[in-house]
Amino acid sequence: MLQAINIFVTKNRRFVPITATAILVVVAYIVGAILYPAMRNPQVFFNLFRNNAYLLISAIGMTLVILTGGIDLSVAGIVALTTVASAALLREGLNAWLVILLMLGMGTALGSIMGSFIAYLKVQPFIATLAGLWFARGMCFFISDDAIAIDNRIFKILGQTKLLIPGWTEIATSQGKPAPFISIFVVVAFILFGIAIYIAHYTRFGRTVYAIGGNEGRNEQSARLMGLPVERTKLLVYTFNGICSALAGICYSTFVASGHGFYATGFELDVIASVVIGGTMLTGGSGYIFGTLFGVLVLAITQTLIQFIGSLSSWWTKIVIGLLMLAFIGVQSVLAARKEGSKQIQDPQALAAARLRRRRQALAGSVVVVLVALAIVFVPQMRNGNGTETVVGTVCEVAPFREEEAASFLADGAVLVYNRTAGTPCVDELYAIYPDGRIVADNGTGNEPIEGQVDMAELERILITASDEYKWFTDNMFSTYHNPCRQCYAHYLTISYKGQAKGITAVDGGVDMQPEYGYTLSIIRPILPKFTVEP
Amino acid sequence: MKKQRSSFSIRKATESRLFFPLIAFALVLVIDLILVPNFFRIEIRNGNLYGSLIDILRNGSTVALLAIGMTLVIATGGIDLSVGAVMAIAASVAALMMNPWVVGKELTVELQRLVMDPTYTYSPFWLVILVTLFVATMCGLWNGVLVAYVRIQAMVATLILMIAGRGIAQLITNGVRIQIFYEPYAYIGQGWIVLPFALYLVAFIYALTWLFTRRTAIGMFIESVGINPRSSFFSGISERKIKLLAYTFCGFCAGVAGLVASANIKTSDANNIGLALELDAILAVVIGGTSMAGGRFSLLASIIGAMVMQAVNTSMYAIGVPAFALQAIKGVVVILVILLYSEQVRGFFQNIAASRKEI
Repeated sequence: MLQAINIFVTKNRRFVPITATAILVVVAYIVGAILYPAMRNPQVFFNLFRNNAYLLISAIGMTLVILTGGIDLSVAGIVALTTVASAALLREGLNAWLVILLMLGMGTALGSIMGSFIAYLKVQPFIATLAGLWFARGMCFFISDDAIAIDNRIFKILGQTKLLIPGWTEIATSQGKPAPFISIFVVVAFILFGIAIYIAHYTRFGRTVYAIGGNEGRNEQSARLMGLPVERTKLLVYTFNGICSALAGICYSTFVASGHGFYATGFELDVIASVVIGGTMLTGGSGYIFGTLFGVLVLAITQTLIQFIGSLSSWWTKIVIGLLMLAFIGVQSVLAARKEGSKQIQDPQALAAARLRRRRQALAGSVVVVLVALAIVFVPQMRNGNGTETVVGTVCEVAPFREEEAASFLADGAVLVYNRTAGTPCVDELYAIYPDGRIVADNGTGNEPIEGQVDMAELERILITASDEYKWFTDNMFSTYHNPCRQCYAHYLTISYKGQAKGITAVDGGVDMQPEYGYTLSIIRPILPKFTVEP
Repeated sequence: MKKQRSSFSIRKATESRLFFPLIAFALVLVIDLILVPNFFRIEIRNGNLYGSLIDILRNGSTVALLAIGMTLVIATGGIDLSVGAVMAIAASVAALMMNPWVVGKELTVELQRLVMDPTYTYSPFWLVILVTLFVATMCGLWNGVLVAYVRIQAMVATLILMIAGRGIAQLITNGVRIQIFYEPYAYIGQGWIVLPFALYLVAFIYALTWLFTRRTAIGMFIESVGINPRSSFFSGISERKIKLLAYTFCGFCAGVAGLVASANIKTSDANNIGLALELDAILAVVIGGTSMAGGRFSLLASIIGAMVMQAVNTSMYAIGVPAFALQAIKGVVVILVILLYSEQVRGFFQNIAASRKEI
């Protein structure tokens, strides 16, 4: 029996990583659905695609690049540059379709430039695309230092149109639930997915891509000797990835409706991770575009689970992704070792030794996989001892700062107005503190505002500390809120003291938040009244 | 006879590994001389030296430290992408040990006063340094085991720690940016003894590494592993142990760099410390002339490479290029440098030289 499984696995070795990923996706979703009933909502499933359409688009291009044994680090840069450039062009009043065409052209140009460096001048892909990443990100800041909002009808249509799922609508409405939907770019991503599968498996170009990659560059040499157009194929692969990145950038900018050079920081790592988890060898030559879909889903489910668990911070996503990558690369190297072993060893003694080694490797590999699985299942449990569900729904819709309300409170005589939005429980809380120590707070749900009281001397001390010690009213303190991070709190704090009033925004984990801002928050936070958590 | 000798010495100079980085450094400085007034002015305050040149040296010290470790790794034919993340981990460990109160709690006013006291540290200073460097070295060891013993491609193996490392650093401090008020620690990054203290640190690590690699056979072994791992294995060099050593040492260097960087800004900023510095370090090594394919290396050339990178940065700031837009220029510079080293371009110039000789 065991031997039969062994033979089966050895015969279908190339499908092992992709199957493992698919099983992981299903298991993770089922575990999530058991632990968190809210996850059984079909919309949560469709949101996996809706929120990660740009990741899928970019990962499809990256899969082809990695299949040739190369790598493209520039994707994040091109995504950011696309958001900024399209936002700037739309602000100038250009036609949206023309902007999209221009962006795709830009992606093509950047991709082909990097591709020709790699293919013809033999620059290492890693270095050439790294330079591309820097170039693209740097150009963002030549265009604009600040985030530019996109207010365009066509971009709005592209980003916000709800495509209902046929068959699901009736079921949902009969249960009195909102009908599940996807966005236009999910469809775009799947069309691209189909095209890429066709290219990879049914064209001469696709076969050449597979022929180039793998075996530490020796396959590339063989491909050249076979008369395959190695250079041209490489150039085309990077160009294709440039187009994919630009498309992902357009998708991203309709998603966030603005453009800034800091968008998609570290995005290239997510893309590479989803390709690797999808079963493509980073050495190239082996893997499937189909697997990349599952790789993207693994990342998406990891994010969703961490959001549902609520008490976990977003950085757990990175640790889990790192562990998953380790596990998958481990599985791949074990499989590669099996392949090598079955070819070379003839001598029975060596064969026995090899079997032992293989067994050990398999054991080590499975131990890693089990550990990762345990970590995914139990670490959240340990962290979340009481098991309460804090998040209902999927992605926190970050409420805009209620600046006008804050201003009216100030006009009313409040000395301190603090607005906190987003965060893991997804809040929108507004606190106004008056000179007599009265605190009025509402959490944006339309419920009755709650009241609190603080000692007047304490309040005075806070105001003095904030303005003197933390230099609230100097130019050193400025707004640092650029883009929503959904899991972190975003703050808007206005202090009015001795005739000066100044409101500053920031976001937890923000790149450039001043330490003094954090200290000011830390002395204000203890005096705020607590909202009772609704069941 | 005499003429031949002089041409020989010129040839020797141009073939030296230091030649190109030094020329590049000089070129950048000359551009500064033209564009930036007072660039070379050095002031003496309280017996310490200040000025743009000193700034270049001081700010470049982090990358120089990383470049020393990275040189050895690249010389073995590998690469270490995780150094930036290891820096963040080191900074988080150090900050947590000196000031554990901020983590996960809202501080009382008394405790906050205590924490802000510049003479206050929770763990003794030597222990902070020791544990931090130990943790960083363990990170390097982890990479080394993955590359040398588990046989994962270097880029992939270190990519794992690069992705997970920042998450781990956040985990250590519970996602809080811990400010460091302890003065002796800040001295690592901000102290001056005539020259910035960080420079002495670079010099010390460089001297140590030079002794280890050039006064023992280890340097030779590293080069041999980089040029041909198989043949070095057959000539009795334990390729795995050499690789393990290189990655472990690279982790150690990243730890030192993490100390310097966090002391410089007096914060453990897990999101930003060492961000994209792995790339700067790799480029410093490349500018220093060590081939990405492994083989012969020069530590000093890598350090000069780091200073070239920093000089480009500093002069761009001085000219008034916005900080983030600088990356675009860096990208172009990188491609130019790589092209200068690429065999295609060299072959092109050699062809020109050969055809001239024939004439």
